[in-house]
Amino acid sequence: MIRFETVTKTFKGEVVALREASAEIQRGEFVFLVGPSGSGKSTFIRLINREEVPDAGKILVAGKDVSSLSSWKVPYLRRNIGYVFQDYKLLPKKTVTENVAFALEVIGRPRPIIKRQVPAILELVGLSRKADRLPEELSGGEQQRVSIARAFVNRPLILLADEPTGNLDPATSVGIMRLLDRINRSGTTVVMATHDRSIVDTMRRRVIELDRGMLVRDESRGVYE
Amino acid sequence: MIFRFWYFIRETFVSLWRNLSLTLAAILTVAISLALVGSSLLIREGADQATAQFQEGVEFIVFMNADALENQNEAIRKVLDTSPAIKEYVYVDKFAAYEEFRELFVDKPELVESVTPEIMPPSYRIVPSDPDADNVTELARQFSEQPGVKEVATATEAIRQIEDFSTRVSQALLLAAIVLVAVSAVLILNTVFTAISARKTEIEVMKLVGATNWFIRIPFMLEGTIHGLMGAGLAVPALFVVDSRVLAYFQESEAVPLFRGFAVPDGFVWNTSIWILVIGAAIGMIGSAFAVTRYLDV
Repeated sequence: MIRFETVTKTFKGEVVALREASAEIQRGEFVFLVGPSGSGKSTFIRLINREEVPDAGKILVAGKDVSSLSSWKVPYLRRNIGYVFQDYKLLPKKTVTENVAFALEVIGRPRPIIKRQVPAILELVGLSRKADRLPEELSGGEQQRVSIARAFVNRPLILLADEPTGNLDPATSVGIMRLLDRINRSGTTVVMATHDRSIVDTMRRRVIELDRGMLVRDESRGVYE
Repeated sequence: MIFRFWYFIRETFVSLWRNLSLTLAAILTVAISLALVGSSLLIREGADQATAQFQEGVEFIVFMNADALENQNEAIRKVLDTSPAIKEYVYVDKFAAYEEFRELFVDKPELVESVTPEIMPPSYRIVPSDPDADNVTELARQFSEQPGVKEVATATEAIRQIEDFSTRVSQALLLAAIVLVAVSAVLILNTVFTAISARKTEIEVMKLVGATNWFIRIPFMLEGTIHGLMGAGLAVPALFVVDSRVLAYFQESEAVPLFRGFAVPDGFVWNTSIWILVIGAAIGMIGSAFAVTRYLDV
């Protein structure tokens, strides 16, 4: 599903974010990206959905080389990739339903499909009863659920999550991880960058560790360290 | 597709409303600059009409009697063709003269009805080799003594003054207008940029869920285009005011009889209005296109 072939990415020609990284992630896998701040986790994720372009090497997503994808095709690549942020990035003036529907509206989905899919996904993330609330009326965990609903409402092949539990307390984080696990079990490939040791140690999924841009560890049922 | 259309309209107007003060500033600047562009065009056209017969170096006109004989005409032509004092000339027959009369007084049909081609005097519009005033006066005197000549009209000081005046005024207006057009394009760019900044998160989310670049750009470009069009929409009535007040003031002026020809046909005002709208839309599109390509690209 995702393949990195000796990928190198530097910023402003000096800061090495990723150095000759190679990895292959299969369809349906759940992968944790771990490593200290600045080790290249975010860059790894941003390269997958073409927010960044590598300086060298190839990145294949669903069989396509995204590093050489022409820019007008990028939006169509991203329709297959959900993205969850650490800070949720919900639109403050839209309700829960509107925030989720927005992701479908802006890619031109017809209204009947939106009307059907949005309540279904809110049901999945457990927010049906808060559908008409504004983000500011929700707890952090609930906001992150909205963000996950928005990322997943289009049923993407891949879900990228950059520190999704970074702003949440441990108990709430467990709930978010259950949700991501459930999404993964439905067949979606999940790549998640995290600092959260207990989550990684509890879930025992594949762990890829980065250190100053180098891929230093890749274990199929790994722990944080 | 219909759904998308309403999406764009809704997003555009929400954004216009959010940015109300900047939007108004942009619209007013466009309106003022385009009103100046339009006035400049109207004044130039008015002056052209008023001095229509004395253009392209024509310094004097020999009017023949409407019933002048052919051999009288030939005699005149012979002088014109051979005299070294004459650089070139144009013959305007009675039908052409009638057409010109009709165009000039298109707003006064009763005047047009009172004449027919038969009573219009044919004329020679003459460019002398030496346009010096004394020389022209002397040539005019010579021609007025020829048989069949009704009268000779010279381009008087008054005509030259009108031309000078209108050229200077319309150039000054045009210069101010060009500066203001540039200012309004920058103002629109700024307004659209502000609109973009206000929706940073929204745009980021749109990009990440796979909205196409054009889908993201269109509401902002529409916003800029609407600024331009609304400004132009305000400038158009201003043109009609300039036409009916300012130009009419010249026409009614008793002091300078020549100003009475200082009119523009109604059609010209409408044509100018259409151009103003087109220019307005173009300013808006260009300003907003700059904003979206500079601040919105992936």
